Amino acid sequence: MRRKDAGTQVADYRSKGLLLRQVKRHASVYAILLIPLAYYIIFKYVPLWYGQIAFRDFKTIRKGIMAAKWVGLDNFKAFIGSYYFWSLIRNTVMYSVGKILICVPMAIVLAITLYECTRPHLRKIVQTLAYLPHFLSWVIMYGILLTLLSPGEGLLNDIIKFFGGQPRDFLNNSTAFPWIVLLSDAWKEMGWNAIIFLAALMGIDVSLFEAAMVEGASSWQRVRYITLPAIRPVIIVVLLLRIGTILDAGFNQIFMLYSPAVYSVGDIIDTWVYRAGLLEGRFSLATAAGIFKGCIGMVLVLASNRLTRKYSDSALF
Amino acid sequence: MNKLMKAVLMALVIFGLAALTLTAQPVQEAPEATGPVELELWYGAAITEAGPPPEDWIGFSLIKEKLNIDLKISALPSNESDQDVKIRAAAAADQLPDLFMVRRDTWVSLVNDGLLAPVDDMYAKMPTRTAQQYDEASINFTSMNGVSYGLASPGAIYKNEGLLIRQDWLDNLGLSVPKTLDEFYDVLYAFTYNDPDKNGKNDTYGYGAFIEINNYEAYPGRRLEPIMGAFGVEGTWDLCAETFGLSIHDPAFYDYMVFMKKLIDNKVIDPNWMAYKKDDFRAAWKQGKFGVMREQNAAYAALANYKPFDVNFPNGSWTIIDPITGPTGASSIGPYTVNYRIYAISDKVDQVKKDAIARLLEWMSSDEGYYLLGWGVENVNYVFDADGIPVTTGTELGFDKPEGQTVTQLRNMVFYNGDVELYSRYPTYITETSKKEMSALKAMREMQTKKWTAAVGSDTMPVIPADLKTFYEQGLAEFFTGKRTLTEANWKAWVAEFDKLGGAEWEAAGKAYAEANNLLY
Amino acid sequence: MEDKKPRAMTRREIRKADRATAVRLSGADKGFNLVIDSFLWITLIVISIPMWSTITLSFRPNTFLGSYFDGMFLAPWKWSLAAYKALLGNRGFLLAFSNSFKILALGVSSALLLTIPLAYVMSIKSLPGHKVLVMIVLIPYIFNVGIIPSYLLVAKLCLTNHLAAVFIPTAVGTYNCLIMRSFFEGIPNELKESARIDGCSEIRVLISIVLPLSKAIIMTIGLYYGVSFWNDFFHAMLYLTDNKLQPLPILLRNILMASGMNEYVEASAFGEAPIEAIKAASVFMSAIPMIIAYPMIQKYFTKGTLLGSVKG
Repeated sequence: MRRKDAGTQVADYRSKGLLLRQVKRHASVYAILLIPLAYYIIFKYVPLWYGQIAFRDFKTIRKGIMAAKWVGLDNFKAFIGSYYFWSLIRNTVMYSVGKILICVPMAIVLAITLYECTRPHLRKIVQTLAYLPHFLSWVIMYGILLTLLSPGEGLLNDIIKFFGGQPRDFLNNSTAFPWIVLLSDAWKEMGWNAIIFLAALMGIDVSLFEAAMVEGASSWQRVRYITLPAIRPVIIVVLLLRIGTILDAGFNQIFMLYSPAVYSVGDIIDTWVYRAGLLEGRFSLATAAGIFKGCIGMVLVLASNRLTRKYSDSALF
Repeated sequence: MNKLMKAVLMALVIFGLAALTLTAQPVQEAPEATGPVELELWYGAAITEAGPPPEDWIGFSLIKEKLNIDLKISALPSNESDQDVKIRAAAAADQLPDLFMVRRDTWVSLVNDGLLAPVDDMYAKMPTRTAQQYDEASINFTSMNGVSYGLASPGAIYKNEGLLIRQDWLDNLGLSVPKTLDEFYDVLYAFTYNDPDKNGKNDTYGYGAFIEINNYEAYPGRRLEPIMGAFGVEGTWDLCAETFGLSIHDPAFYDYMVFMKKLIDNKVIDPNWMAYKKDDFRAAWKQGKFGVMREQNAAYAALANYKPFDVNFPNGSWTIIDPITGPTGASSIGPYTVNYRIYAISDKVDQVKKDAIARLLEWMSSDEGYYLLGWGVENVNYVFDADGIPVTTGTELGFDKPEGQTVTQLRNMVFYNGDVELYSRYPTYITETSKKEMSALKAMREMQTKKWTAAVGSDTMPVIPADLKTFYEQGLAEFFTGKRTLTEANWKAWVAEFDKLGGAEWEAAGKAYAEANNLLY
Repeated sequence: MEDKKPRAMTRREIRKADRATAVRLSGADKGFNLVIDSFLWITLIVISIPMWSTITLSFRPNTFLGSYFDGMFLAPWKWSLAAYKALLGNRGFLLAFSNSFKILALGVSSALLLTIPLAYVMSIKSLPGHKVLVMIVLIPYIFNVGIIPSYLLVAKLCLTNHLAAVFIPTAVGTYNCLIMRSFFEGIPNELKESARIDGCSEIRVLISIVLPLSKAIIMTIGLYYGVSFWNDFFHAMLYLTDNKLQPLPILLRNILMASGMNEYVEASAFGEAPIEAIKAASVFMSAIPMIIAYPMIQKYFTKGTLLGSVKG
C-alpha cells in the first residue's frame, strides 16, 4: 500500500528527480488513462492525418493518400472564393449566435423555473414533456412546421385570416425564415438543453438556500445571488463550447427546412458543403471547409477562454 | 499494485475481446477454382421500405447451383442524393462493390477517376439480355471515348406523365376543357374561387405542383413543364439546332415568369407548391385540394394510389388533356428523354468475376430469371392469367402484398418495359367505391399520344456547377416569392449576372457537347 | 428536516407547513411563484400543441379530408391504427429497431467506458502533463476535419459493414468529455484526498468515491450519447451496406424521403394508411425508447447527494 504525502500536491518541475517522483506517484492515474488515450489517438488523430486531403486533389485512396496531387491551398481558395462565401459565413454566424442568445437563456430559465416550482404536479408534467420535442427528427419537425405555417391552411395563417389579415408563405419568406429556424430550434431543444442546467442545479448545496432564507432573502434575490452564480461554471463551459462550434449552425434542421427561395438567408456552410462538396464528390473541398471552420473555431475558443479566465476561475483550459 | 494491475488487465482483456468480436473478419477462403465466385451487388430496390429478400430466397440457391455464384446483395438508399454520397464515399475508400447501380452524374466521375471496368466484351456474352435491353442508344449512353463503362438498362418508360384535370369540377361549373392560355387561366380561376366541388367552402385551388427537378428539367421542375411548354421554354435546354441555348435565355421565358407570377399573385396555384414534397403533393390531390396537375400514370391510376381519391370523391374523375397552347402557338407536356439505369462494374474485378457477372445478368434476363425476379415463384407469388400475364395470387404472398414485395426487389434489373410487364403492372380493374373501370396502362397510352418535346440525350448534357445552380434556383425562387420584383429590367439584369457567374460558359460547354454528340435536332 | 422545496408534498401540506413555521411568503415571493408558474404553463401549452397535432396525424385515417388544424380535433373513435399496424407488421421495421438497440447498448457502454476515465484524469489538476493532456484532447475537437477522413480510417480498419463502425469512431465526444471533467473538478478534493491517504489506488478512488457522487452527470452524458447513437443517420448510411444491419434512422429516411427512384409507384409497402400518418407514426415509434428511458434516469437527478457524503 502506498502512502501519499498529503502536503506536496503542487509539483515542482525544476528538478528532474522530482518530476520522475511525481510521475511515479501518479502511475495509477496514467494507467487509467492508457486505453481511452489510445482510442483517442487512433480515432481522432489518424483522421487528422487523412485530413490532408484538403490540401490535395483527392479522388480515391487506391494508391494511398500521398498519391493524390498536392494542390496546397487551392481547395481553400475554392471555398473562400465562392460567390456565396460571405453570405454563408453571415448566415452561419447569425444562426449560431441567435441560438446562443435565444436557446441558452431559455434553457437556463426553464431549468430554474423547474427547480423553483412549488407545484410538484406542474413541474413533473413540464419536466417530462419539455424534452420530448428533442426526439423528433427534423423531418417530422418540417411536417409540424407545415401544420403551423403552411400558406394554405396553416394554423398561423388561419389565425391571421380570422383577424382579417392576408395569409402569407412564411417558410419561403426570407425575412421570416431566420426566425422560424431560431424559434423552432428553441422549441425543440429548450427542454433538452435545460437538462444539463438542471443537473447542475441539483448539485447545489441546499444549506446555502437555508442560510439565505434565514437572512430574509426573497425568492428573486435567492435566484440572483445564489442559484445563478452556483451554476455559472456550467453556463460558462456550455457557452464556451458553443462558441467554439459557432460555425456549426445545425445542418439537419436547415437542410430539412430550407428551399431555394430562402437560400439567401438559409444557406449555411454545411448545407453548401453538402451540395457542392459531398453530392459532387469533391471531398477535398468538403474537408477544406471543415478545416477552415475548425481554425476559426479554435481562434474563437482561445479568445473566449482567455476572456473568461480574466473574469472567473473556471475556464476550459 | 495488485488490485491496480488486476483492474488494468481486466480492462485490457475486455477491450481486446470487444475489439476482436466487433472487428473480426470472416475468414477469407482463397477462392478455389471450383468454389463459387463471390459477387457483391448494390441494387436499387423496387420498394425500399418493404425490405430485402429473405435469407432463404430461392433466387440465391438457384444462382449458386446453376451459375456457381455466391451472390451478396444490398439495397441502396432510396433517396438519390444518399445513393450518390454512398457510392462516392465507397469510391474514395476504394471499396466499390463488384456490380452496382449508379446515376449518370456520379458514373461520369467514376469513369474519369478510372475506377470502372470497361464492359464492351460483355455484351456478346449476354445475347438474350443484350437483345432485350442494350440497343445502340443504350451502349452510347454509357460510352466515353468509344469505350463502354456501364450497362444501361431501360428505366421508366418515357412520356408516362400527363396533364390531368378534374372533369367533375369542369362539369359542376359548366366549363369545357381549356385549350389556350387564357382559357386555362380562367379555368384555374374558376377552380379557385367558384367552389367547384360544391361543398360550400373556399378550399380549392386551380393548379397543383411541387418542385421536382433533374438535370434536364431545371427549377421549378417537371410539374410545371406544361405551363412552360405553352411559351416554348420547356426543359433546361433548347435542343433545336437553329435556336440552341438555355431556355432561360429565350425571351419567352420572361413571359412565362410573368404568367407564373400572375398565377401566384392571384392564388390560383396551390400556395403550398413550393413547400410540398412529393408525398405531400400526392396526398393533396387525393384530398381534392386542386384541380389541374401533371402526374405519372401509375401514381394516378394504379389501384393502391387511386383508391383514397375514389373513396373521398366517388363522383370525382380526371381527364387527360392536351397541353395548353400559348400565345405563339407553342405547346408541350414537357421534354422527354430515354431513361436508363446504369449498372457499373468496379475495375477491381478480375476476368473470372466479370464472366460471372455476365452469366448472372444473362440468367436474369432468361425466362427463368425474368419471372423469378419480376414476380416471384409461380403459384406462390403469382399465377398466369388467360393471356399469359402474371397476376397476383391474392394471398399474403402475392407480389403486391408486403410479404411478396420482398422477393421482387430486383425487378429493376430485369424489366425492360416489355408488354408482359406493362399488362401485369397496370391491369384494368373496377374501383371499389365508384365502380369505375380504371387502367394505368390505358392512361399511359393516352398520355403518350399528347404533344411532347423530344430532348433525347439532354440528361447527358454538362452539369451545372454547384454555385451557379444555387444562383439559378435562388433567383427564380425569389422572383416567384416577390423578393425580387419581376420587371423586364430586373429580369435582364439577373440573367446578365447569371451569365457572368458562369452561365455563358455553361451554355457554351453545352453547345460543344451537343454538337459533338449529335444531340441537336 | 424542514425543506422549503418539498418534492412530494401536496399543496395542502405545503400550506400547513408554512403556517406551522409561521413563515409567510412575502409579496415578492408570491409574485415570484406566479411568474414561475405562468412560464411553466406557457411552456406546457407551447410544447403540447404541435406534439398533439403530430400524434393525431399518426392516427389519421385515409379518408380524412380536413386541414391539419381540423385534424387536431378529430374524435378519438375516428382514429385509425392503420399506420401503426403497417409499421409493426413490417419485418424490416422490427429488425431496424433491434439494430438500433444494439448500437445503443454497445455504443453507450463503450462511450462511457472511454469517456469517464479520460474525463477523470483530465480533472486531476496536479497531474504532471495535465496541460499537455488537455491540449491533446482539445486539438481534434477544434480541428474537426469532418466525416470523410474518419470514413477513410474506418474503411482502412475494415470496420465497414459492421455495427461497430457506427459507434466506435464517435465513442468519445470531446464536448461530453469536457462537461464531465468540469463536474469531476467540482467534487471537493478532500474526498479524493482522504481516500488517497487511506492508500487507495486511483482506480479505487474513481470507482468508489467519484462515480457514486457523479450519478447525475454520468446519466446525463450517457443519455446524450444514447440519443446521438439512436438518431444517427449519416454514419449508419455511410458505413453500413448490409440491409440486415441498418438501424431505424436509415429505414425512416428510406420511407420518408423516397424520391424518384421508386418508379413502381403502383404499390407501396404501407397500403392502407396515408403517408403522413406513416411518417408521424414511424417517428413516434422510433422516439419511444428514449421517451421511456428518460424518466427512469430522472431518478438519479436527486438533490443533495453531495451534501450527504461530505457530512457523513
